[in-house]
Parts: sequence; structure tokens; C-alpha cells
Amino acid sequence: MIKIDFEKKTFLRDVLGGYMQELGRQDEKVVVVNADLMGTCRNRSFVASYPERSFNVGIAEQNMISFAAGLAHEGFKPYAFSMAPFISMRGLEQCRTDVAYAGLDVRLMATYAGVSGGISGATHWSLEDCGIMCSIPNMTVVETCDEVQAKKLLEKSLDYSGPIYIRSSVEPVIGIYDDSYDYEIGRADTIMAGDDGAFICAGVTVKYAVQAAKNIFQKHGKKIRVVDMHTIKPIDRQAIRTAAATGAVVAVHDHNVMGGLGTQVGQVLAEEGIGVRFANIGLKDHFEPMAHASYLYHKFSLDAEGLEQAMLGLLK
Amino acid sequence: MQRIERPQTVEELKKAALEVRKNLLKLCSLQTIHIGGDLSVADVMTVLWQYQMNYDPQDPNWEKRDRFVLSKGHASAVTSFNQAAIGCFSAEDVWNEYATDEGRFSMHSCNLVNPYVEVSTGSLGHGFPVACGMAAGLRLKGNNTSRVYVVMGDGEQSEGSIWEAAMYAVQQKLGNLVAIVDFNGLEADGSLEEITALGDIAEKYRAFGWNVCEFDGHDIANIKGYFDNLPPVDSEQPTVFICHTIKGKGVDFMENQARWHAGKITEEQYAAAVVDLESKFAQEGAQG
Ligand SMILES: Cc1ncc(C[n+]2csc(CCOP(=O)(O)OP(=O)(O)O)c2C)c(N)n1
Repeated sequence: MIKIDFEKKTFLRDVLGGYMQELGRQDEKVVVVNADLMGTCRNRSFVASYPERSFNVGIAEQNMISFAAGLAHEGFKPYAFSMAPFISMRGLEQCRTDVAYAGLDVRLMATYAGVSGGISGATHWSLEDCGIMCSIPNMTVVETCDEVQAKKLLEKSLDYSGPIYIRSSVEPVIGIYDDSYDYEIGRADTIMAGDDGAFICAGVTVKYAVQAAKNIFQKHGKKIRVVDMHTIKPIDRQAIRTAAATGAVVAVHDHNVMGGLGTQVGQVLAEEGIGVRFANIGLKDHFEPMAHASYLYHKFSLDAEGLEQAMLGLLK
Repeated sequence: MQRIERPQTVEELKKAALEVRKNLLKLCSLQTIHIGGDLSVADVMTVLWQYQMNYDPQDPNWEKRDRFVLSKGHASAVTSFNQAAIGCFSAEDVWNEYATDEGRFSMHSCNLVNPYVEVSTGSLGHGFPVACGMAAGLRLKGNNTSRVYVVMGDGEQSEGSIWEAAMYAVQQKLGNLVAIVDFNGLEADGSLEEITALGDIAEKYRAFGWNVCEFDGHDIANIKGYFDNLPPVDSEQPTVFICHTIKGKGVDFMENQARWHAGKITEEQYAAAVVDLESKFAQEGAQG
């Protein structure tokens, strides 16, 4: 199930956009709605194969989401594509009222998660989207970390009931899973076993957590668990309890520390009455100038080095 | 920094626009930039920044300055090179710092690091309504000499917020507001005709109650003429310039090509493009 491959370099938007053609082949109810970012979201092959099931509303994300809701009302399976800030913030009330309130099966395909938009700057980052989307009733929030998982997620999304926000980084990711991987929305996956501490991560940070866990084992002989919390809502509470049993939990997310994965994990810990050494790693609740994602991950300790330090800090 | 003489005549402005294009292409040989929409708006931006605007490069917060909002925030490079031309910083600064970590210049305009950016933009459909608020704010403060200039894309016109602002600017009688639409016919995924055709955009703004000027956005004499003849700042009707332009203007292989919305060129392409630009400029000069 697990096959960590640091050499593999995947761009998730290529996978998520490209695989739409396969979904379109499997199910003729699948429709794609773009807002002038078809190229950026890499779903051109679907559009070329199924032009009658493709819509491009222009630079009008609010229209895109409401239009997708309309298609869902008529029994179609819409996939609406844009950058995360433009779906989760520009189209927010549309996501909430037209999609979630109506309980419609609309798939919100959000690339440029976190600061992965790098030198495009804060307008193209989504430091807030996970918090926003998690606060919407009915909304499922997932984030994917590798190619195999991304495809399996898309397969599951075909018949998933209710709206789903699918968050993905535009930074490259590595290989984590092999084809035998049994992906379930709502069930976290343990990538590395360990009882000395646990990383809880999702998306692009998974590769950094895996690297950090390996480094810690090599240098200190401590075995750190790595939990891929790909479903951020509804969150896997059992996986959090198990991680907390190690005594040290580092949650990391390419998101603001407010409202991101760390917030969701922290809420569960508090509700369950679990006392555990805990660190919440993410962007530190302020706006940053434009910079490359790798620079920001380093600056805010989201990279392997930063995570290693954070975990060692808890283990002391 | 010493005071820089600004171009005054049509000839000088043409030369200035050529320099802006050359600077853009050099940057484009170093980094990915939104070159298509930079080149389409380069002539209008040159006249606006280097001739029209009342702006002190020593003091970006000068109360009496004209305000500028780049609603199509991805045209950050053409803005920076025009600001460099009037002495806000140098063109070298832009080449060196563009797309560096926490640098002043990048894919969009960011006020956190660059005080010459009035409003941080990049998400389309925001700058125009913000500019309307600034125009109303100037009025409220009793500033009857400063104008607010805002540059938008034609694809950007698809955002609903654009038309909300278009309505309210008229309601508020914002005669101190000048909106500029870079009507190059292309957005990111292709032509407006195939995606959301605008139809007669001039007629649309007219129907909303705007003073509409529609002209060739590459004809420097024309552009200058329209700026020279703007209604008084304290007039009561906002003005929009519908500038017909060519995306990628000046570089043959980029012109009218959606794929050159953003990109990077090779050293060879850069050298060839500069030769091409200069020979076209010399030809036009010879024709008078
Ligand atoms: C709200 C929002 N949606 C999408 C984008 C991504 N985007 C950047 S530029 C662009 C196309 C812009 O087209 P247009 O307004 O015509 O500008 P131009 O062709 O002059 O570059 C798009 C879709 C964005 N920056 N903001």
C-alpha cells in the first residue's frame, strides 16, 4: 500500500485535470465548469473530448459555482475548477448557499493550495480556505498528497454524496502510495508507523513529514508516526487518538495556523480531553510578501528541517 | 535620486514606449511574466505614467498625487518599468529583484514591499471598485485636483463586481475617475469571442451612464489627445477609455496568441525581438 518514492515528481494539477477525461468516459453525467483557468487547471483533454459537457464562464467564479449548482440540480455531476482563493473566497457564498445549503453534489476543484502559488503572492494563495470550507455545514474537505491518491479520490468523488472541496498544491509532490492503496474519504492513512511521536499532515507537507520522520530515526533512533489526514472534514478522530497516544503530536499544514489542519486536530484533542504535547505548524497569521513556496515553507518551518526541529522540541 | 525629465511630445513618448517594451522583453528573457497583457497596455501605460499622471517619485504618499490602481494586477511588470522610467527605482532593480523571495517586484503588485503600489492586486475584479471608493474618498476630503486612474483587462469585465462598480461610479458622479479597459480580445484560455464575448463594450458603458472614449490603444498621439482632453476633475461623469489593443503587441510571434498570456523567452528570441522592435520603430519614424 505504501511505496515512498522521493524520486517521483508529480504535479497534482496535471493528474487531477488530466484524469477528468477518464471520469468523463466512465460517466456521461460528468460536466466540467471552468472560469478562464482551464489551461492552469489542466483539464483541456476533457474539454477536447467532451465539448458539450464543458463550460467556461470566463473570469467569473461566482457565476461558475452557481452555474455548477444549477447543473447539479438537473442531475449532472459538476466539477468546478479554479485556484483555491477564487473558489473559497470569491465564490464563497455561492459555495455555501447554492451548493452546500442545497446539499448538492458539486466537486470544487481548488488548486494553488496554501502558499504554493509562491511568487504570485497573497492574492493567489489560500491561507484561509480550509478554515472557511470546514465551517460550512455539509461540506467535505479533502486534500491530496500524491498521484495514486489523487486518482482514487477522483474515482470516489463520482458517487460521493454532498459537496466536496478538493484542495491541492501546485508545488510538486512525491510518490507515497502504490496501486493497491485502498483510499476512503474520511479514513486517515498511516504512512509510517511509530510510537515516539506523530506528524499529522496533508497534501504537500506529507513529503516533508516523511523526510523529517526518516531523519529523526536516523539521527536519534526515534520512530515517528506519519499520518496522512487527507480528509480534513469529517476528520478521523480515531487516527488522532492513536497519534496522541505517542505523547507528541506535530500537526502541519500549508495554511494559516488559524483554521487549518492544526486547528481541526486541536479541536478534537480538546473535545476528547486528551492532554498531549502539541505543535501547530503553518503560516503565522499574517500576510507575507511574494516569495517562492520553498522559501516560505522553510521560513515557517513547514519543510523537513523545520518539522524535525518542531518534533525534537516536543520530545525533549 | 535625481529628477528625471519626462517625455512631453508624441515622438518622445513613442521612444519611451519602445524603451518600456525593450525592458519588458529583457525581463521576459529572465523570468516568466505576463508578457502578452504587458505589451498590449504598454503604450497607454507609458502615456499615463510618463506624461499624464501628477506623481512625485520621491513621495508616493503625496496627498495631491493622482492615484493609480492596476485592476488587471498581472500587468505588474509594465507598471514597474514605467515607474522606473520616472525615477521611482531603476529598471535594473526590476530585473534583479523580480520574482525573488520578498523582492519588490513579482507576478502581481504587492504593497507590502513596494510603496509605489497603491493597491495590492492580482485577483481580478477588485481594483476597479476600490478605485471608485478612492475617487469618492478624494471628493469627500475636498481634494478636487487628483484623479484616480484604473486599468482593467477585457477578460476581467466578466467579473460581476466590475459592473456593480460601473453602476455605482455613475451614481456617485465620479468625474475624477478614469477607467481604462485594455481591449485586446484575449483572456487566459483563449479569445473573448469563444468564452464570454463582450459585444459592444462601449455601448454597455454608455448605457450605464459613462463618458466613453474608444480608440486605438497603440496610437500614442491619439492616447495623448484623449488624456489631454479629459473632462475637468470636478466634473460629474466618470470616463472610460476603451483601448483597442493587440495582446503581445510589437513582437510578431506573440501578437494575438493566447499562449503568450504569460511566458518566458530565450536569449535568442529576446535579441531578435529587440531588433524587430527597433526596426519597426525606425520605419514608423521614417514614415512620419
Ligand atoms: C479572480 C481571478 N480569477 C482568475 C485569475 C487568473 N487570471 C490571471 S490573468 C487572467 C486572464 C486575464 O484576462 P484579461 O483581463 O483579458 O487580461 P489581459 O488579456 O489583458 O492579460 C486570469 C484568468 C485571477 N488573477 N483572478
